[in-house]
Amino acid sequence: MQAPPPSATTPLIVIRHVSRRYVRGVDEVHALEDVSLSVPTGHFVAFMGPSGSGKSTLLNLVSGIDRPDAGDVFVVGQKLNDLSEDELAAWRARHVGLIFQFFNLIPVLDARDNVALPLLLTHLDKTERRRRAETALRIVGLAERFDHYPRTLSGGEQQRVAIARAIVTDPDLIVADEPTGDLDARNAEAILSLLRQLKHDFGKTVVMVTHDPRALRFVDDAYHLDKGLLLEGEDAERASAAIHLAAGGGMMSAAARVGQ
Amino acid sequence: MKYLPLIVANLSRNKLRSALTGGAIMLAVVLVCLLMTMPEGLNAILEHAANNTRISVHNKAGMVYPMPYSFTRKVRQVEGVAAVVSHTWFGGAYEEAGRVTFPNFAVEPEDIGAVYPDYPVAPEQLAEFQRYRDGAIVGRQTMHKYGWKIGDRVTLRSTVWPVNLDFRIVGEIANGMAPQFWFNREYLDQALKAQGRPGLGIAGMIWVRAADPNRVNAIMREIDDLSRNSDAETACETEKSFFANFFGSLKGFVTIILIVTALVALCIVFIAANTASMGVRERAGEIAVLKAIGFGRRVIFGTLLTEAATLSALAGGCGVLVAIGLTRVLREFAGWSETLGPLSNFIVTAPVIVDGLFLSLFVGMLAGIVPSWGAARKPVVQSLHEVF
Repeated sequence: MQAPPPSATTPLIVIRHVSRRYVRGVDEVHALEDVSLSVPTGHFVAFMGPSGSGKSTLLNLVSGIDRPDAGDVFVVGQKLNDLSEDELAAWRARHVGLIFQFFNLIPVLDARDNVALPLLLTHLDKTERRRRAETALRIVGLAERFDHYPRTLSGGEQQRVAIARAIVTDPDLIVADEPTGDLDARNAEAILSLLRQLKHDFGKTVVMVTHDPRALRFVDDAYHLDKGLLLEGEDAERASAAIHLAAGGGMMSAAARVGQ
Repeated sequence: MKYLPLIVANLSRNKLRSALTGGAIMLAVVLVCLLMTMPEGLNAILEHAANNTRISVHNKAGMVYPMPYSFTRKVRQVEGVAAVVSHTWFGGAYEEAGRVTFPNFAVEPEDIGAVYPDYPVAPEQLAEFQRYRDGAIVGRQTMHKYGWKIGDRVTLRSTVWPVNLDFRIVGEIANGMAPQFWFNREYLDQALKAQGRPGLGIAGMIWVRAADPNRVNAIMREIDDLSRNSDAETACETEKSFFANFFGSLKGFVTIILIVTALVALCIVFIAANTASMGVRERAGEIAVLKAIGFGRRVIFGTLLTEAATLSALAGGCGVLVAIGLTRVLREFAGWSETLGPLSNFIVTAPVIVDGLFLSLFVGMLAGIVPSWGAARKPVVQSLHEVF
């Protein structure tokens, strides 16, 4: 993994007037409407909002998994709108590391081979692939788990393996879809901390979709979405305050339980 | 090659299912390989049974139509002919069986040995055959079937001629596969005349032995020329050709079996395709993730297809080995008994091995192509939506 660049202020992600619609049955769903934003290189940002707000759609557009119906998506200087499915796949393999809520490791491969999967798409030989996979596993704190299969790892460890898989190609952008959604509080904090560490130590740009209010303590920016719209100004502040309140309420009720 | 560990790991994911699918493919390949040995095996049996100097002469209209017996004399005059014997169907039913259960022919005892010098009949028995008007020489298969022995007397009731004849068994064709029953032509002729009938003026078939195998074609042409424009034009053929035509229906049977085998193979394709589809469905989440992290359609399609083809090819390889083993066991059995002798002709040759391996690979590819393509061509966003 490379060290952070000396000046990392240029935007890695630029989104201009992006809209995305789906047809679900006979209904047309406006998943995103005229969304514009930019994310500077080396930032850790969160897309937040209730279910159906369009945050996952936005994440898919940023990661090159989906294409917009209108507007432009630029990531790492590449306009993604015009790339074909195969070109997008090749682009993702080079520039994006993906983390999912349910880890989605291959159960018949050990941790090392799971992490090395994206490297199969490179020209690296087997020895180098193994070496890099082991390095990635050490970064996420699993130096003792190289030969372990997913079924022998805890949820938190599996998510760490998934993070190692996401960083093993040294991508410009790490994209995480509800990375703490399937973890307990302790493991969730550890994963958020690890993602922040990737930003700090390696200058990675990390974009995350989450419902988890704890994430606000770890990210540089949070973008709030609702019904396909990016909330700005007072609306965004209200949404942020509501999340903070929810997080505080959670902590207070936890404290109350401890007190009892 | 770098995807091989992933393919092997996926194959070992559900060992029982892989084993059952592989077993079904293996069984189909064994079946196909064994059946594919049949045409070559039958040919080998014909080559073994047929003599390259013997010629069959029969009525051009068909074997059920006779020829004048006088034609036998003309055939004897043809240059290069070493011996001639007529065969006339008696259609005799053994009393115990009540129906015709073995071929029985009226022949000339003085000529039969010269036309069939390769048949294992003791010279003294051939001499006895000439000596007794009611003598008969019987193949070992029929002797065993009815528990007859030399010296026994048997009665055959003809289903063709209005006579019943008593025979004295004077000799045996010492070959466990030989069913025929030869008796003296004159015996039948005289029995018919005794009933006031004109006697046996016909021959059902004439067998000729050429002195020189190189003269066989010329002799056949000359015999056919002799009968041209007569009431009974003849059609000559070599003994091998005669047997091949006689076993024509068996070849038809083999064709039917091959068709059935092809259908079985097709069923196996469907079974394997269903297994491949189930495998792809079960791993929809993993495939979606692989696509998301950058595995393109070609890689996804290639690995899934290779997975199906690898399983099938491995099963096919095992199937070929089992087929080879089975034919070797059959050959061993063939050594134990004369009756089982022809089994040694069924050999899994190199072309059969290649065909068996090709078939298994083809089954795997065909079975894997639809689910693999279905999984690969789906856009990544759709794949992720369907599973998450």
